[in-house]
Amino acid sequence: MVDNLVDQNNDSQERMGGARDFSDQIALIAEMSLGFASSEDITETLGMGLTRIAEYMDAEAASLFLQNAEGDLVCRACCGPVEITGLSIPAGVGIVGRTVETGTASMVRDVLADPDFDHAVDEQTGFTTRSILCAPMQVKDTCLGAIELINKRTGDGLFDAADRSSLEVLASSAALAILNSQLSEELIKQERVRRELEMAAEIQRNMLPKAQSDDYPIHGVNVPVFSVSGDFYDIMEISDGRIWFSIGDVSGKGMNAALMMVKTLSLFRCLGKTIHDPGRLMAAINSELCETVSHGMFVTMVAGLLDPKSGEISMANAGHEPPLLLKSDGQTFEEFAAPMPPLGIIDDLGDGGAFPEDHFDLDGGALYIFTDGLTEASVPGGGMLGGQGVRTLIRGHRNLTGSARMNSIIETVRDMGGPQKDDLTVLVVADCSPWCHVGQGGDDSRLLLSLNVPAQSDQLKPIRVAVTRETRGCGCAELWVQDLVLAIDEACQNIIRHAYKGQPEGTIELELWHHGDRIEVHLIDRADRIDPSLIKPRDLSDVRPGGLGTHFINEVMDEVVYDVPADGVGNLLRMTKRIE
Amino acid sequence: MNIKTEEKNGYVIVRLDGEVDLQTSPEVRKALLSFVDRKRNVVVSLGEVEYIDSSGVASLVEAYQSSRKKGCKFSLADVSASAMRVLQLARLDKVFTIHATLDDAVAG
Repeated sequence: MVDNLVDQNNDSQERMGGARDFSDQIALIAEMSLGFASSEDITETLGMGLTRIAEYMDAEAASLFLQNAEGDLVCRACCGPVEITGLSIPAGVGIVGRTVETGTASMVRDVLADPDFDHAVDEQTGFTTRSILCAPMQVKDTCLGAIELINKRTGDGLFDAADRSSLEVLASSAALAILNSQLSEELIKQERVRRELEMAAEIQRNMLPKAQSDDYPIHGVNVPVFSVSGDFYDIMEISDGRIWFSIGDVSGKGMNAALMMVKTLSLFRCLGKTIHDPGRLMAAINSELCETVSHGMFVTMVAGLLDPKSGEISMANAGHEPPLLLKSDGQTFEEFAAPMPPLGIIDDLGDGGAFPEDHFDLDGGALYIFTDGLTEASVPGGGMLGGQGVRTLIRGHRNLTGSARMNSIIETVRDMGGPQKDDLTVLVVADCSPWCHVGQGGDDSRLLLSLNVPAQSDQLKPIRVAVTRETRGCGCAELWVQDLVLAIDEACQNIIRHAYKGQPEGTIELELWHHGDRIEVHLIDRADRIDPSLIKPRDLSDVRPGGLGTHFINEVMDEVVYDVPADGVGNLLRMTKRIE
Repeated sequence: MNIKTEEKNGYVIVRLDGEVDLQTSPEVRKALLSFVDRKRNVVVSLGEVEYIDSSGVASLVEAYQSSRKKGCKFSLADVSASAMRVLQLARLDKVFTIHATLDDAVAG
């Protein structure tokens, strides 16, 4: 029916085809596409594009309608004697409505014969509409609106079939250009959100402690499931040489959990500088969180203080996964369950303003604290790693130290293949007390010598030479140096002969520390554990060869302690001699 | 470490120098026992010994005990300060016969 009304003059096609250069049309399309792509003001670009179309088509007036969210067609741009920008036409009404509804161009060469023509505008403005050409702005099945041209300036003033073809192409191109600009606007918005998230994640990452050197007792790692994390951990030294450590898990994931994480971490850092008891610190953080916490959000958290000189820990747990202490035997675990609910739920929880604390000594073991991202990590064949799985994982990594241990644990969890569902954070507090120089005499502490040599008798002389050289450099008296060298030599012999039982592939790790008024010696072997109670100097009244070395060591040194290395492997002998 | 031997007045003088430690003491032990086993009177000169450890001292103790069983003489002479320190630590300075000089040792 539409075709009957509009298509009355096919003859004019040839005439118009010759009059308008096809390459001009391509140039106009290219110009419009470029205009939309680089446009910051789409309304202005629509107006300019429409004016160029009207000029090109020799139309007296032109208007561009776009469908809004309600389906009405709104005039977004127009040119010619009558200004109708903002005019709204209900869907399906008038020639524009018909064009959009059918998705087909309309050409009206006799407006009086078209029942859809609305005379109202002409009557109000005194303009005389003789001919209308209207084409849908269509890309595939999506119709954005229509472009309407009124009265042709040239010839008989009527549009013809060639005009119709031209406008159809131009309207489609305009539609594509608008659609592209809408999409790129969306992309820009998404990109902005992505950049903001990335910046937030970076700020958050910077809040976590920097990587520590391998001989540092505390190491942590945080792997967020999204760019931002609801987990945190922190390490902070206080003035008396002790070290705060904490780990936390905010309920939920994403940006709200990340903001809460930042708040809790800030409270920990700020309050931890003045409050030096885990129980009181947790109570203080809890009441701060309760004052302002968002409804339904809470934080599980463990905070503790390590004395690196002794390996002693005091610790409080608010609703967090129980930390696990792997004892120095490398097999047995002790669990520290949470006696208190998470933070941010009930104010005034602490008994007299303090949460209960656990007090214990690492005693050569290592304390593992982790978030449920570890216990609930997916394992092959479905299911979760679980408590037993975590213990097996920890045992499997007990021989590693420092960041290598953290990285290997994370790699193992990743290699299990399941998709990461939750933020994953692990913190290990190892007993470095035999090695620890943090806060011990401060600037007075100096590593004089660090050796790692094969446990063979031909290494003893180089060791003696090195020890003599370094301790003489400290201004120690000649006889004093000889005694120290004897004790170290005898201890190395014990390692070669008794720990490794002469096996040549063992190693001896030697460190010589100068702490203010004393020299400290650390000797590590990686042989089987030796029961220190069996190492006894013999009775000297019984004159016989052998068994003198241990007696020499005890005689010469001021303090001799048989211990276990921080990583739990082998034996550690710690000896101290005061400088006279 | 070096071991030099000479004979004087019916004594085998064994001169040790350098460092007697876990690596070198087996050689000392072997040398000393070879003379003691042949019931020779032995004087060990320790004047040039810069260092001696428990294994070196053990070699001396073993030779000394063996000499008592064999009924021959075994003494130390010209003991360096560092060697004397170790003997004192082992409470052996009162066990061994120690002469101030080699001449004293071979005179008796």
